[in-house]
Amino acid sequence: MIPLNYAILKMFTKVDEACADCVMDALRDRYGNYKAFKKPAIIEALMTAEANGLIEETRFDLDGNNELRVYYRAHEEGAATINAYIKG
Amino acid sequence: MGNASIAVNPAAVAAKQKLVASFRSRGIVIALLSGLLYGFYTAFMTMGMSEGIWTVWYGAESGLSAFAVTYLLAALGAATTDTCSAMWALGFATVRGRFGDFLRTIKTKPGLVMVTAAIIGGPLASTAYVVGLQLAGSIVVPIAALCPAIGAILGRVWFKQELNSRMIFGIVICFGASAMIGSTGLDINAADNLMMGLLFGFLAALCWGIEGCVCGYGTSMIDPEIGITIRQVTSGFSNLIILVPLFGMISGADTVGMVAQSFGDASAMPWFLAAGLAAYLTFMYWYKGNAMCGAALGMACNGTFSFWGPFCCWVVLGLAMGIDGWSMPPIAWAAAVIMTIGIFIISMNPMDLFKKKEA
Repeated sequence: MIPLNYAILKMFTKVDEACADCVMDALRDRYGNYKAFKKPAIIEALMTAEANGLIEETRFDLDGNNELRVYYRAHEEGAATINAYIKG
Repeated sequence: MGNASIAVNPAAVAAKQKLVASFRSRGIVIALLSGLLYGFYTAFMTMGMSEGIWTVWYGAESGLSAFAVTYLLAALGAATTDTCSAMWALGFATVRGRFGDFLRTIKTKPGLVMVTAAIIGGPLASTAYVVGLQLAGSIVVPIAALCPAIGAILGRVWFKQELNSRMIFGIVICFGASAMIGSTGLDINAADNLMMGLLFGFLAALCWGIEGCVCGYGTSMIDPEIGITIRQVTSGFSNLIILVPLFGMISGADTVGMVAQSFGDASAMPWFLAAGLAAYLTFMYWYKGNAMCGAALGMACNGTFSFWGPFCCWVVLGLAMGIDGWSMPPIAWAAAVIMTIGIFIISMNPMDLFKKKEA
């Protein structure tokens, strides 16, 4: 099992795009019991990764509960960096 | 979905703008707090090193050699602070459910990069900083604050990062401000050791510049709370296990006994515990602030510690504890402000602030 932040980043090398809810759905089985596994913390991790050029925003909308949903993807360089440093 | 939904949904646009603004302002507040807490870390550690057994060690009757007084005590002070900080970090990591990830992260490639940076920014920089403080007083703080300038130069050399004429202009301002501070040193009691103290302050800045440069990479992947736990644990224990015994062997002092006395001193330890907490928070906020609002703005905000360092020493040591010699001459205060302006110019184009307001 790899650290939660690594798992979040690694996921973006395997999907076209994902939002915070997508990340939570995909990782809930393995990381659902983590105290840090909360939506605000995941959103912060995604925005931090974006600020550091590992992932980029693709689009945003409102979900069924009128909550903002921002989608990100790992561009080629970001995915290469993630794969170079995070195994698994 | 897609871009079309952005255009037709003003509520989504407003929510997105609110999220981005909140993230940016939180990042700036965190980075500014890192600067302020750095001041308290400095003040509390210096206070701890002037209480209890430390007054004996620094006194004329200590029986310690000049080498031990200058280097061993500095390393022991840094080790005590960083070990307390590591304890705080491990405690917070456990309470906040990150201890397992700390163990998993430290074994990975980004984790090992963090460990290397921690050794450079921890034992090496902390000891140089404390030696500098002991030799030349709080005048060393703005010298150590040159680290963003050094980070910018190293980033250019190692990682081919941008270093434009504006940044070079900022670096020149910083070095000019350092020269101003150096020129005031003759008014300070520690004048005999001033140049050596400033040299050690510069060495600390060099090590922290390397750390800031390298950890910019680390924090893009590692949770800042885990990153700082790796840093403080590495730094605290390598100080305690490598540096203190090394200086002890050179100076012939009983380091095991001194470590026990340092950690067992009831009047100094509360200050070291406070310094450790401030160190944990200042370095975590440094990493987190850099990660959240970009290294340029983050380091600019953190760079305000060139002001907060002497300010907190003056408030805690000078005003609150009534210890003489912690007030800075006016020109040094002016230089600290000029250096902060220089750091801002290195880190961001001041015109961008106006552009943002117009947007």
